[in-house]
Parts: sequence; structure tokens; C-alpha cells
Amino acid sequence: MKKGIGLALAVLVTAVVAASAQAGHKAAAAPSAVSCSAPLKIGFVTPLTGGAGFLGQEQMSWAQYAVKTLAAPLGLKVTIVPGDTPVEQGPAPAQTLAQKFVGDPSVVAILGPSTSGAVAASTQTYFQAGMAHLSPSATRTDLTKTVSGVKEGTPAFFRDVPGDYIQGPSDANFMIKNLKVKKVVIMDFQEPYSTGLADAVETTLKAAGVSTIRLSAPNTTTDYSAFVTKVPSDADIVFFPTQKPADAQTFAQQLLEQGKKAKVFGGDGSNDSTQFKVPGSYVSNFAPDITGIAADASIVAGWKKANPGKSVGSFGPPSYGATQILLHAIKLACTADGGVIKQRRDVLRKVKQVSIKNWILGGTFKWSTKSNDPLNAKFYIFQIQNDGSYKLVG
Amino acid sequence: MDTFIQLTVDALTLGSVYALIALGYTLVYGVLKLLNFAHGDVFMVGSFIGYGVLQLLGGTTNPSVPTWALIVIVTLAAMAGCAVLGVVIERFAYRPLRDAPRIAPLISALGVSFFLVNSMQLLFGATPRNYDTFSLSNGALYFRGFDVGNVRVPLLRIITISSAFALMLVLWFLVNKTRTGKAMRATSFDREAAAMMGIDIDRVIVFTFVLGSALAGAAGVMFALRVPTQVTIGFVAGLKGFTAAVIGGIGSIPGAMAGGLILGFAESYTQGYVSTKWSDLVVFSILIAFMIFRPQGLLGRADIRKV
Repeated sequence: MKKGIGLALAVLVTAVVAASAQAGHKAAAAPSAVSCSAPLKIGFVTPLTGGAGFLGQEQMSWAQYAVKTLAAPLGLKVTIVPGDTPVEQGPAPAQTLAQKFVGDPSVVAILGPSTSGAVAASTQTYFQAGMAHLSPSATRTDLTKTVSGVKEGTPAFFRDVPGDYIQGPSDANFMIKNLKVKKVVIMDFQEPYSTGLADAVETTLKAAGVSTIRLSAPNTTTDYSAFVTKVPSDADIVFFPTQKPADAQTFAQQLLEQGKKAKVFGGDGSNDSTQFKVPGSYVSNFAPDITGIAADASIVAGWKKANPGKSVGSFGPPSYGATQILLHAIKLACTADGGVIKQRRDVLRKVKQVSIKNWILGGTFKWSTKSNDPLNAKFYIFQIQNDGSYKLVG
Repeated sequence: MDTFIQLTVDALTLGSVYALIALGYTLVYGVLKLLNFAHGDVFMVGSFIGYGVLQLLGGTTNPSVPTWALIVIVTLAAMAGCAVLGVVIERFAYRPLRDAPRIAPLISALGVSFFLVNSMQLLFGATPRNYDTFSLSNGALYFRGFDVGNVRVPLLRIITISSAFALMLVLWFLVNKTRTGKAMRATSFDREAAAMMGIDIDRVIVFTFVLGSALAGAAGVMFALRVPTQVTIGFVAGLKGFTAAVIGGIGSIPGAMAGGLILGFAESYTQGYVSTKWSDLVVFSILIAFMIFRPQGLLGRADIRKV
């Protein structure tokens, strides 16, 4: 009798273990194959609302324009599914969206996340699902490279713009060589993008013997008066790597209000000529003004027609480029799999095989062989003129 | 010394805006015993109304009226718009729940808050709106003013601080020296008894919302004269205003004024002398300390219950 009970228990345990293993296997298995002739989706994770909403809106308009003009010639039907990650809400929306997109089998790749914090919060989820995610604006260095033994990004994360490992030293070297700075105040906003960039600038400045003062403001700060008060009157520059250009404008105004001579130097996140326009200030960005690139004339004209009344900014073109790369990767995966995408990992594997001639930011786009970064990318530095325009100075 | 003076000017500017927001919380709580969590968003709507009227008047680069008139018109329009909004909120979100358990209007207030933020976002988008007062009269609001030592107190700060104090004085007069104010105080003390004495409670409550919301509208403009506004500003501003009201003693008008200024000074001096990272920690630690050691706040009445 005891033997019978033992046997029954053993069978039961074996059945439970087998069932669990099967369930685990099902959970880990890739979603069913998707036909390339059916409509495919690309998720777009970007801040569409909040202080950085301007960035996401601009990126979205360019991504949609890229899909509209580039998908059909590749024989694809693709729609962009937006997902909002307001910077004020921290990493939570990015995590929720990652679960949502991973759970939808028709989403074959992700454009974005646009901000470094959102990438750090969701890259593991995408990686486990074998999902390529390509950011047109997340620049934090440790998303693609190991910094102090830490690498936040996974092998499934890519970006088509250079990281802060280029922006930080570029900005700092411009301050040292062109502006001959002696004292620089460096702000951060207690989130991954600004702290990473501020660290990179601070390291280069300190190495060159420049005196630095670090200030840190919560990401929700709107009034910077007290911070401006702490800027010494002999400081030359306040490095202000915000993701909200209106804040850079406020800070620059409050510096003038308090009679401080320091100029604001914003990172790529403050590059918006409609919001940040105090003359004499500086801005760096990963994209040049593409209206000056002859090969882009038809793209610019088409986008303007599709977005009447809007002006070409710096965040949109890399978003167009990132969409273009993903569309080509999807096409390559479809061709290799005989008209279907068997699993998302197939798209992921094709991303680094893509290179694009007549790249929207100029030249030819190629991937670095050492990391998931673009090859030979650079940052551009602009100075704000009296009429509010941005003039390329470095 | 210069740093101290500059921080004091910052504190007064910040504190006077917090005080105006706190007054709205405290007025409504005093009369209805309701924490109107939508109040921060009324403040946000006020800043947007001001922006809209500013654009109608030609903006700051090409204004159709003198600078002083522009600021007065924009502020009055925001106050009027917010007063109407306050009446609408009271009528549709709170009045139907007046006799419901206290949690119901609280949830309704949160609902109104989300409704306002998302409606504004739908209507006006996420882009911050800058009044661009820097362009007004070639930066006169920033470059004119008076000096205290080596510290410049610009015209914009003087306007913000003096307007806030003037509004507080008007409110004090309304509440303490007018018949309607007496009715408000009676309603606050005992709503049922006041009704039995012939006071029109509905009218008093509506008037309270008009006053509180108008002050929020004025605060919204004063805030946005210096800092770009956007649909999300209401949350933090509301939280700070609520904290100021609790510190001062919720339900107490002088308490709300004092609470706002205390908060402004705590925030500015912490940022200036301790660490820019710790200002919110200090501000909310003060709130916790008050909740533990003096829950009725600085000037509030202790809640005495018959046992």
C-alpha cells in the first residue's frame, strides 16, 4: 500500500515537473511566425508628452514619414505603434511598454527607447525576447560600452547616433580649446542621461586642469534661481545637459537676471531653437542641420509637405534613419526566412548587416565592428545668435 | 552676505507663489473639510489662460498694450478663468458628493486632477509654453529693479512678491471685514448651525471656490512669468502648496501664508547652504515633523473631540 502511495506521488511529482518545464518552454518560446505580407508593427518608445514631449513628437513625425515613403518600395506593410515615456515619470512607463510590445507577436522590432533611462529600464526585457531596439537619441555611454565594469545595454540594443563618450569629450574640448575656460559649473538632473554626460564632461575638464563645480537638481525642478545663485560670478560656462530645452532657456535667463557672466552650454537634449534661444549660449548635437545637405532636399521637402508649418529639428532625422535601418533589417529577415519572420531574433541578427548609402545625416551609414554604435559619428556644436538661429561653430 | 540676500529674494518669490496656492487648499478645507487635490491643476490651467491672453494681446515681442497693463490684464484674465473653472469643478465634481463619505470627494478630486491634465494635453499638446517675458521691453523686467548690496532685485521679482502680498491682504480683508467673509467663517466653524442661522451654504461654498481658484490663477501667471509652463506643473506645485497649507495649519488663512513662506525659505536656503540635492528631502521632512509633533500646524486649531 505504502509502495503504491509512493509510486503515485512519484508519478504526480514527475507530471508536475514535466508540466512546469513544458509551461516554461512555452513561455520562453518565440511567438509564432509572422508573414511578411501581413501588416507588421514597429513599436516606438519615446516621450510624447511631458517636458521632453517635443522630442518624441518630432521623432514620431519623421519615423512615420520614413515608413510612409520607405516601407512600400521594400515590399513591406509597416505601422508605427507609439508608446509614451514622459521623462518626469522615470523608468516605469518604459518597463510597462516593453512588456506590452513583447507580448504582441506582430511587433517585430522597437524604435527607441529615445532616452537613456528608458533604455536601461527595458533593454533586458527586449533582449530576452530577442527583440532589436534601436534608439535615435539615447546617448549614455554605458548603453553600448563597459564603463567602470558596468554595461547597461544588452546586445539587442543599438543606436544610430554617437554616445556621450564622444559628446562629453567633444563639448569639454571645445570649452577648453575654443572658449579657453577656467571655471565651469556642471549640472545634472539626477537621471541617467544627464549624470552620464555630466560625468564625461567633468572628467575631460578636470584632466585639463579646469576648475569644476558640480550641482545636481531634481528632474522635476522648474525654477533654478537657487542654483543660479550658486554659480560663481567668475564661472565661464554652465554645462546644462537637460532633456527639457525650456529649462535651459530659464537657466540662461536667470543667469542674466542675477548678472552672472557665465553662458549656458546645453547637450543634445536642449537642442531646440524654438525653446532655447538666449543669444551667446551653446548647444551640442549628434546631427547637423540636414537642410544644408543637398542629397536630403527631397526628403526635407516631403516631410515638410506631410507636416505643414513645422520646422526641421535635430531629433527627427536620426529617427528617420533608425526607421530606415529597421525596415532594411526586417526586409533582410523576410528574404532569409522565405517571406516570413520565423522569430524576432531573425530581425535582430540582421540589424548589423545594414549599411545605408546617402545617409540622412550625410555620407554612408555603417556600424562599428566593436560596439552597436555608428562608425565615425561625431557631435556638432552650435552657438545661438542674436536672431535665435543656431550657428555651427565646432 | 550677497548669497544670503539672493537666497532670501529667491525664497520670498518662491514662498509667495506657494502661499497663494496654499490659500486655495486651506480655504476649501476650512469650509468643506475637503482636500481639493485638483487645485494644483487649476494653477496650471491659470498659467495657460495667461499664456493664451498674452498671445491675444500680441505676445511679448509685439504687445498691443503697455507692459504694466499687459501683466495686469493677463493676471486678471487668469484669475477670472480659474474662478469659473473652480465653480464648474465644485458644481459637478464635489456638490453631488457633499453628503457622501469623505473618501468619495477625495477620489473625485483626484479624478478632476487627471481630467484637467489630460484635457489640457489633448487641447494644447506637451510643449512647454514660455511667456518670454525676457523679450518684453528689451528685458526691462530682468534688468531693471533695485540693488541690495551687490544683489540685483529685478522688477519681475518685485512684481511677483508685491502682487502676492497684495492679494493676500485683499483676501484677509474679504474674509475678516466683509459680510460674506463672516458667512465663510461661520460655515467653516459649523456648517449646519450656519445654515440654521440663514446663511446660504451653497453660495458660500461657491464663493470659496471662486476665491481659491482665482488665487491659483494669479499664482499660475506669477509662476509662468518667470518659468515656462506645461501641463504637468500642477502636480509638484500642488504638492508644495498642500505641504505649505499643512505646515501653516490647514484651514488657517494666516497659516497658509506663513506655511508658503516657510517652505520657500526652507527650499532656497537648503539649496543654497546645504545641498541642491536635498531641498525636497528637507521640505518634506518638515512636513513629516509637523505631522508627528504638531499635526494641527503652526497656526491651526487642535481638533478637540468630545469623548
